[in-house]
Amino acid sequence: MISLLLILIAAVFFIGIVIKVKAKIAARKMPSVLQPVYDVIRLFRKGAIYSTTTSILFRVAPLIYFATIATAMLFIPVGSQKSILSFQGDFVFFAYLLAFGKFMMIVAAMDTGSGFEGMGANREALYSMLVEPAFFILMGSQALFTGYVSFQDLFFHLHLSSQLSYIIGLASIYVFVYIAMVENSRMPVDDPKTHLELTMVHEVMVLDNSGFDLALIHIGTWLKFSIYGTLISGFVIQNSWSWYWQVATFFGIMAAFAAAVGLLEAFRARNKMEKNPQWILMLSAIAVVIFLTVLIITQKIILN
Amino acid sequence: MTYIFIILYAITLIYFALSERVKKFIWLLTIQGAILFGIVFFSLNEIEIFDFVFILVETILIKSIVVPRFLNRVRKHNNLKREQEIFVPVFYSIIIVVVFITLSFLLSNSLNNDQIHTKYFTVAFASVLFGIYFIIIHKNIFSHVVGYVIIENGIFLLSLAVGSVMPLMVNMAILLDLVMGVLVLGVFVNRIGDTFDSTETHQLSKLKD
Repeated sequence: MISLLLILIAAVFFIGIVIKVKAKIAARKMPSVLQPVYDVIRLFRKGAIYSTTTSILFRVAPLIYFATIATAMLFIPVGSQKSILSFQGDFVFFAYLLAFGKFMMIVAAMDTGSGFEGMGANREALYSMLVEPAFFILMGSQALFTGYVSFQDLFFHLHLSSQLSYIIGLASIYVFVYIAMVENSRMPVDDPKTHLELTMVHEVMVLDNSGFDLALIHIGTWLKFSIYGTLISGFVIQNSWSWYWQVATFFGIMAAFAAAVGLLEAFRARNKMEKNPQWILMLSAIAVVIFLTVLIITQKIILN
Repeated sequence: MTYIFIILYAITLIYFALSERVKKFIWLLTIQGAILFGIVFFSLNEIEIFDFVFILVETILIKSIVVPRFLNRVRKHNNLKREQEIFVPVFYSIIIVVVFITLSFLLSNSLNNDQIHTKYFTVAFASVLFGIYFIIIHKNIFSHVVGYVIIENGIFLLSLAVGSVMPLMVNMAILLDLVMGVLVLGVFVNRIGDTFDSTETHQLSKLKD
């Protein structure tokens, strides 16, 4: 229960920190850290407008999207705090739960019958598909390393002690940060601030959503960032630490992750659309190297 | 500690497959030189001052400062920016480099020989294979030089794999080969660039007596 609470608190402030960092770098006046929350409250007050070409699918998709993310959040532990739900192999369930939500959004975008939204849906499907091997190879490597196959046991028994295991931790954090960026359609793959529909990926997909639905989609993004941030923090936080030290580290990592996202978005240009697939595949390639490292540590590959 | 540098070396090979800018190739060669120094430094059990100086000169000075600087001058002279002519799309190159790395790791695992240090063999073999592949897929002569240096780095690691001590003569020969090779090829690239305003290999077929 405590882990859920911590993830929710982090989610509320996450995007606020990102926009604060971006504004600071661009020498603009910094908005309040709660500005995204005010925006979402404003959206909740508005009614949603539906196009006449859309069906019931379009209306339920944002709800299902939000529900899948909220359910996926229940599987994530923070430090030694247990997650609410946990079973053997739950990371596979977690990945496909998020994929199901994304699938519903893609179908809803197709449902509007707009050419632009179809194009965005097409890109989102491709990138999600390409990033999936990276996630599974990485989680598979950690499962092999620790010998456990649920998020809770896996992070509970993940002790980075030898020198070789540090490189696994560092490389895993690197890959996870970029998986989070791809999954949330952020900078190197997609620019959330672009004005041109032709260069959008996620934004063009949700172009027809308004009011209540759009607010749910925004909250979904916060939660996703928070979930991935928690997974990243799992590589750093050790169970032997006292609880207040764990919580402080958790929020520290969340703030650092948010600042890193802000810095990336401020300084990095978006990849060319045609370069995106190869860039995402690179994450899987690094995940394979991590897997080989785990094979060396676990003595599956014996070298002298 | 050696393993960390070996894994980092494998990651640089992936970045070689990913990058398309000539400047990035040179930057990656610099990093590879530094990583090679790390590998050698942490694998030598007892180090003599002469050996240490020689390794320092070979890896840091030559591989990570002199060669990249020279290549950078060649790049500026020929105004090379981005590699546009690649025979194989980068997407497939990344898959192929992963196959190379996995293959050479598995091969090292099956080499149960006390004479060979298989931990160096892992990336050494991958590096040689990838260097050859790198030369094949690029049309630009400059990239061929880069591919040649990648192969040389692989051979340097192979020399560590087969010998329990650093064979000095072998290393001297490799070093001489590398410096001369890069120098001669660099001058060659400059001349081709001056004559044809381009450094692509198909220009060479136009050469006549």
